[in-house]
Amino acid sequence: MRILALIRQVLDAEETVRIRAGEVDLSASKLVVDTMDEYGVEQALRIRETGVDAEVVALAVGPERNQEALRTVLAMGADRAIHVMTELALDPIALSKVAAQVAQQENVDLIFCGGQQADWDSHALGAATAERLQWPQLTWVNALEIHGQTLTGRHDAEDGSEMFSVQLPAVITTQQGLNEPRYPTVPNIMRAKRKELRVESMESFHVEPKLKIIGAEIQVKARLHKILDGKDATAAAAELVQLLRDEARVIA
Amino acid sequence: MSGPAISNPRRATGGSFLIEDLGPEDIFTLEDLSDEQRQIERATVEFAEKEIQPRIAAIEAKDFGVTKDLLRKAGELGLMGVDVPEEHGGLQMDKVTSALIAEKIAICGSFSVSFSAHVGIGTLPLVWYGTAEQKKKYLSRLASGEWIAAYALSEASSGSDAMNLRTRAKLSADGKHYVLNGEKMWISNAGIANLFTVFAKIDGEKFAAFLIEAGTVGLAVGPEEHKLGIRGSSTCPLILTDCQVPVENLLGEAGKGHHIAFNILNVGRYKLGAAAIGGAKNAFRGGLRYAKERIAFSKPIVSFGLVQQMVADSAAGIFAGESLVYRVIGAIDASLAELEKSATTTGEIQKRIEEYAVECSIVKVWCSEMLERLVDQMLQLHGGYGYVEEYSAERAYRDSRINKIFEGTNEINRLIISGWTMKRAMQGRLALLPAIQRVMDEIVAGSKSREGRDGELAEQRFLLANAKKLSLFCAGAASEKFGSELAEQQEIMGALADMMMEVLALESAILRTEKMQGRSTLAVAMTKYYAARSVRILETSAERILGAVAEGDMLRTRMAIFHRLTKHVPENTVALGRKIAMAMTEVGRYTV
Ligand SMILES: Cc1cc2nc3c(=O)[nH]c(=O)nc-3n(C[C@H](O)[C@H](O)[C@H](O)COP(=O)(O)OP(=O)(O)OC[C@H]3O[C@@H](n4cnc5c(N)ncnc54)[C@H](O)[C@@H]3O)c2cc1C
Repeated sequence: MRILALIRQVLDAEETVRIRAGEVDLSASKLVVDTMDEYGVEQALRIRETGVDAEVVALAVGPERNQEALRTVLAMGADRAIHVMTELALDPIALSKVAAQVAQQENVDLIFCGGQQADWDSHALGAATAERLQWPQLTWVNALEIHGQTLTGRHDAEDGSEMFSVQLPAVITTQQGLNEPRYPTVPNIMRAKRKELRVESMESFHVEPKLKIIGAEIQVKARLHKILDGKDATAAAAELVQLLRDEARVIA
Repeated sequence: MSGPAISNPRRATGGSFLIEDLGPEDIFTLEDLSDEQRQIERATVEFAEKEIQPRIAAIEAKDFGVTKDLLRKAGELGLMGVDVPEEHGGLQMDKVTSALIAEKIAICGSFSVSFSAHVGIGTLPLVWYGTAEQKKKYLSRLASGEWIAAYALSEASSGSDAMNLRTRAKLSADGKHYVLNGEKMWISNAGIANLFTVFAKIDGEKFAAFLIEAGTVGLAVGPEEHKLGIRGSSTCPLILTDCQVPVENLLGEAGKGHHIAFNILNVGRYKLGAAAIGGAKNAFRGGLRYAKERIAFSKPIVSFGLVQQMVADSAAGIFAGESLVYRVIGAIDASLAELEKSATTTGEIQKRIEEYAVECSIVKVWCSEMLERLVDQMLQLHGGYGYVEEYSAERAYRDSRINKIFEGTNEINRLIISGWTMKRAMQGRLALLPAIQRVMDEIVAGSKSREGRDGELAEQRFLLANAKKLSLFCAGAASEKFGSELAEQQEIMGALADMMMEVLALESAILRTEKMQGRSTLAVAMTKYYAARSVRILETSAERILGAVAEGDMLRTRMAIFHRLTKHVPENTVALGRKIAMAMTEVGRYTV
């Protein structure tokens, strides 16, 4: 069987977001593989390690720097990688069009995708990909097993969890708790150098994002620098409570 | 091994940077890292952030189980096998990679010392001098982190003066064992090590090294020292009482143990430099974060000029330090890469590294002192919070101090820097004397117009060219006065070392920035900013030397030359400093 892991490269959580000319500027920032996507890669590797004859293929769509992310995933243990190169900013719906086409071209049986994209906070990528393929999707999975063509697993619901089973092909979206992704080891980093990383151009996928980002700004938390006159302590306390409740709305 | 990014690496060894002018294409810089090197760097960062960072409190509380566990994890990731041959479970990679690992591990001083003592002075003696059997027996266990290693040279009465150690070894009557007696002091990893490389003199004469397993009868580990810093690293004395070491555990040749002891230190020194850079970046990030958040007089303190000055000074120090460290290690790699075409012995590897002994000592001293200044400034901008344990600035301040003491004190290393250079000159291995002569001739002939490339750093190139001349001029004046007694004049040798260090650091920063070809305006600013500091140090050191070797008219004549060689128009370091601080503040960490 063939497993496709969708990979997105996002800003490291420790980094400061910067804006240049109305766009998020990632040029000098530290970028990492979205942790949610790492759960997917890890799970794919674990399936392969149970002895299932599986090939794990990683896919990233985006500018050249995405290859760094793919190399990391190859070093984790993926068998090969596909990079669809584009400078276009793709929203999840547009991105799913590429993912679905690659899944078909590659005869994929199972797709892993992060439950939530760290940069957009969107949950749509897995769902949209499943919809395009007309495959079942299972979201927010935090336990998964495979027996032949059957996946069984669990996902969290509001007040507990649900168990499910589904026949392949399927799209699985991940969440924290599914597994503990492995680190790429130094020997595997060296080995990954020799693995296939195929670069494809965006044209053949006929994707035109309908959504365009026209601006971005960083929320500035302005301080009011309000100093209450404390000569009358009781009045000052009352005023403080009133400000905290009605203006700052931090107490009820 | 990834190929060298520089063309002519054999140049610039053993102090030749004083007399040769290299171009940007001749040096290795961090911008030249290969994809794998970057990936290994990233993997180490991830290990440091996810595994070490959350355990710092436990490490500092001397929970050595945590340290051992982390070392094993590092071993599983392959971070400890970089200097170990493949047939013994290692990866045998380039030195830049091992320096990157040392740098990124250094977010916690205690763990960094445990790690370096293990992979460096602990493991390398075996890699370089071990017999096939010894390697087979121990090396893969060390590379995997299953076993931990320590290196025991120092004694209570002989640290710097290690040749005078008192520990004795004697062959047993049946010829099967060496029997060791003596005490070792301040041994890193002693409390957790499984294998010790212990130095002793056989029959009080022949310097030798022995591999001693923990648990060997007669080997006792004393109590943990209570230390100023790196409190979470194990440091204990060793007591050897009729300790029986099998003869097959003699490491290397009897009578040549001092080669082992000292050759290892070159590697230890450049790695210490890399670790200091890592510690500096980490402390800088903490300081910057605080300076952005702390409000005083209704403003974040990072908006104050004097705070920005601390930020800029620190950032420029990191930049020059990175340039220096990776230039030197990159040159060593390129030199070693040439070897690999033929069958290589570890002896040849050591010889090649030893060629860079002067540069290794420069890296050690310069980086440890840069780090010390930086942690002081980062503590300072925390104000009162810097002085309490709540913020890591306090720990970073304490942890940095050891770097000036071990791997050869900075005094000993200064004496090596200028001493080796002078010695090589006397031996005719370094054309220092003709270069001094050329400078004197040029001075007599009157100053020439400015030479060198143009470009944004033209002024700094000019400063650098003059700094080299000034150093040669001072070395010449000092030799003239003291002749072969010069080495005894430690203050002068120290000042010469300071000049050499600044020349190498400044040159590295300039060449790196030029190699970037304008891609980083920040690099240009930091190079200019650092150059201003370099010039001050060069001037002070030169005055110290010149004032000590002549008086009266002779001194006045020389000072006229001094003034000619130090004449320059100052940069606007206020504007540069603000620019640097602003860029760093925006990104929230050190960046180029
Ligand atoms: C935390 C820690 C960990 C250590 N880990 C190890 C380890 O793992 N293995 C090991 O073998 N050792 C280790 N050491 C020992 C360390 O290497 C020595 O302390 C160091 O070399 C200095 O030696 P010393 O303490 O005897 O000082 P001394 O040699 O007595 O020096 C005292 C002072 O005199 C100066 N001085 C000495 N000789 C000269 C000279 N000729 N010219 C000018 N100045 C001079 C020194 O620079 C210093 O300022 C460690 C030390 C510490 C504190």
